[in-house]
Amino acid sequence: MSTRDGVVYGVGALRAAARGDRVMWAVHRAALAHGIVPVVSVAAVAEAFRTEARGDRLEALLAGVEVEALTEEGARRAGELAARADTTDLVAAATADTAVRRNAAVVSTRQNALRTAASLLGHDLVLYAV
Amino acid sequence: MVTKRSVSLVDEVAAAVEAAAKEDGVSFSAWLSSAAERQLRVRQGLRGVAAWEGEAGSLTAEEIAAGEALLGRLLSGVSGMASRVRRRQ
Repeated sequence: MSTRDGVVYGVGALRAAARGDRVMWAVHRAALAHGIVPVVSVAAVAEAFRTEARGDRLEALLAGVEVEALTEEGARRAGELAARADTTDLVAAATADTAVRRNAAVVSTRQNALRTAASLLGHDLVLYAV
Repeated sequence: MVTKRSVSLVDEVAAAVEAAAKEDGVSFSAWLSSAAERQLRVRQGLRGVAAWEGEAGSLTAEEIAAGEALLGRLLSGVSGMASRVRRRQ
């Protein structure tokens, strides 16, 4: 068991916040209170806005989040990782890639794609499944 | 776009920033700017939490404690899963 330096939100975390999950908001508050700014991939943001009606709640959460832009290099990494993980879930691949690079724990839904992608990068995923 | 400001720092803080910037391979200004940006993000984020609480009701002391404990476990490398019982829309 190794420690983590930060927190990455997957699309599941954003959905939980949009739906008013109080545990999700309590974790978010705790992170900020400790000076930890959670990170989310821009792909997860796009997916959350595609599926969630409560854009106002997403905006409130994202006010305290670092949205990691997808560079050409990052897009290539995520695509190749998704291929290796045999998944079409590019958001999960991008989230896993971000978590591994930043040595961060992940808050998201329980997804095999996420765990497989992290494992392919030699990272034991620390996940809180909302 | 960059704005130049003259700032005063306590000697020990300036020395610590200098060392941290060197360690991170960035300039003194870039390190300070990044630290300020992070602090502003935390501040905006806590306002976001307050906005949500304004609509959904304030987090209780128990919920805050649970969030703290959960964060601590995650940073310690322990995975977990939400209890459906605790969830509320």
